[in-house]
Amino acid sequence: MFRHTALRYAVLVLLASAALFQAFTAEYFGLEILTEILILAMLVLALDIVAGFGGMVSLCHGALMGMGAYAYAILSTTAGIAPPVAMAGAVALTGAIAWAIGAICSRSHGIYFIMATLAFGQMAYSYVFEAPIFGGDDGLGGISRLDLSFVGIDLNDSRSFALFCLASLGAIYGASVLILRSGLGRSLTGVMHNEQRMRALGLTVWRVKADVFGLSGMIAGLAGVLAAQHIMYISPGLLSWTVSGEALVVVILGGLGTLVGPLVGAAAFVVLKHELSAVTTYWHLVVGALLIAVVMSRANGIFGWIEARWGARIDRRLTDATRKPEAKEVLGDA
Amino acid sequence: MAHDLGFWTLQALNALQLSMLLFLLSIGLTVIFGLMHFVNLAHGSLYALGAYFAASLAAVGGYWMGFFLAPVAVAGVGILLYSGLIKRMRKSGPMAQVLVTFGLIFVLLDLTRIVWGDLALAIDVPAILSGRLTFLGVEYPTYRLFIIALGLAIFAALAFVLGRTQIGAMIRAGVDNDAMAACLGINVERLFFIVFCVGCALAGLSGAVAAPLLSVTPDMGLQILIPTLIVIVIGGLGSLKGAIAGSLIYGFVQTFGAVLAPQLASVLIYALLAAVLVIKPVGLFPAKG
Repeated sequence: MFRHTALRYAVLVLLASAALFQAFTAEYFGLEILTEILILAMLVLALDIVAGFGGMVSLCHGALMGMGAYAYAILSTTAGIAPPVAMAGAVALTGAIAWAIGAICSRSHGIYFIMATLAFGQMAYSYVFEAPIFGGDDGLGGISRLDLSFVGIDLNDSRSFALFCLASLGAIYGASVLILRSGLGRSLTGVMHNEQRMRALGLTVWRVKADVFGLSGMIAGLAGVLAAQHIMYISPGLLSWTVSGEALVVVILGGLGTLVGPLVGAAAFVVLKHELSAVTTYWHLVVGALLIAVVMSRANGIFGWIEARWGARIDRRLTDATRKPEAKEVLGDA
Repeated sequence: MAHDLGFWTLQALNALQLSMLLFLLSIGLTVIFGLMHFVNLAHGSLYALGAYFAASLAAVGGYWMGFFLAPVAVAGVGILLYSGLIKRMRKSGPMAQVLVTFGLIFVLLDLTRIVWGDLALAIDVPAILSGRLTFLGVEYPTYRLFIIALGLAIFAALAFVLGRTQIGAMIRAGVDNDAMAACLGINVERLFFIVFCVGCALAGLSGAVAAPLLSVTPDMGLQILIPTLIVIVIGGLGSLKGAIAGSLIYGFVQTFGAVLAPQLASVLIYALLAAVLVIKPVGLFPAKG
């Protein structure tokens, strides 16, 4: 089960204050990067729930995010539905599709699961690419942001929008923790460790997988809605499998199955990408080499490495010295 | 939709040519997976490397030099990858392998961009293969017929080696149960190495063969990767029969889909893949039952 250690709390506080500091001090470009990080963080959170706590390594989360973005764009522009309703509709639709994908793929394991999710993601990608209603490879523009003027917030201002994304991410993080601590989340981890045993205990394994995949899809869909509102323009590239691959890279760089790690990974990845692409056009080379190094080192990403190295020591220092340190959590095997 | 017989023959030949190209790529990938349980996403990048080597060599010594030496060069790259990375990743789970080879795609992509630049390269078809032949009542480019013939020849050769020779028996034993094969005195590790090199060489060969048809660009490896993976997952991992069946299914569904239902063509193949995975999660002809 997911547990917050003192170290995890500390990193969360650190990340939140860094984001708040950035949101209130940065100029336009800094705010754009912050928003990009926050949206990516939401996507990788969704991926970490299924991959880190359910062993379902999905290569369709980029496509799910794209579906959320397209659903919002179509509902709010073509269908002319009010943005809040369109947002809810897009999230619900993405969740439903994800639930179906999870249900269909629930029998596959390992590489077959990866391939099956890849197939569904690519299916969505090609459909969006070809169907005229989605604007083909021209994409869709003119997407409006949520109107919060009744409480005096103008989301067209990039500072307000960054803060809005930060608040959404905070809420989603809380929801993710609740999901993982619920009976459903515990069943999911049980299924990851031993599917046979959970079945013997009377659990309907495919339902557990599908339900969590659906919830994760809703989070990915929300990330897509925010991405569409952020850029105000969407293109089929959003659904491409390389987006899902990149999301997986971020989860791994951060630390699979730690929930906090992927947030660290998202921040590190976006900053690294921007810094490197300013220096060289070959930033993929560096990211690729880094990824290989992280996976080969057998550490569980940046955060996982810190946790394994100094986790117990930092926790002891952070918690009351009189209390016994908590039993170290067994991390999901990457 | 009133097309004559010649039109359908032409489409069938197109489908067959696409199938054979995919077969050359997927057979290496599928046997590597079947034997080593290793998922090499960078296989497509090796194909791109093959095309680049062929383009460079063809500029020096003509098409045939590229055709024969590019596979050797790619096999050399394969040896480097094997000793540097893959040997150490053998015992890892599928996810770690997917990620390492995904990283490798990034690295190889940018390396090709650094060495050969971003511009597309082109190779000329050799004079002997450049014309058109009348085949089954239709005019068809000789070079494409050459690809079909080459694919069939390689299929026959591999079917013979895997089915009729001792090393083929050893490979099949290794795919079926590597621990037992090792107990019987087969050096499974060396077998892996040989199969990996041959798989890389075939990827290089398909790159060299595809180069005159498509333009040689850095992302050609990324583009071919998904079709190749679809082929091996539909066909079932690890078997020659699966690779050829998957390639034919992909080639024909893709080509005839584009003719009969252009709107649905690209979705069709993914829907087929999803259907196969739901009904037979391990593919149509897996090496292991």
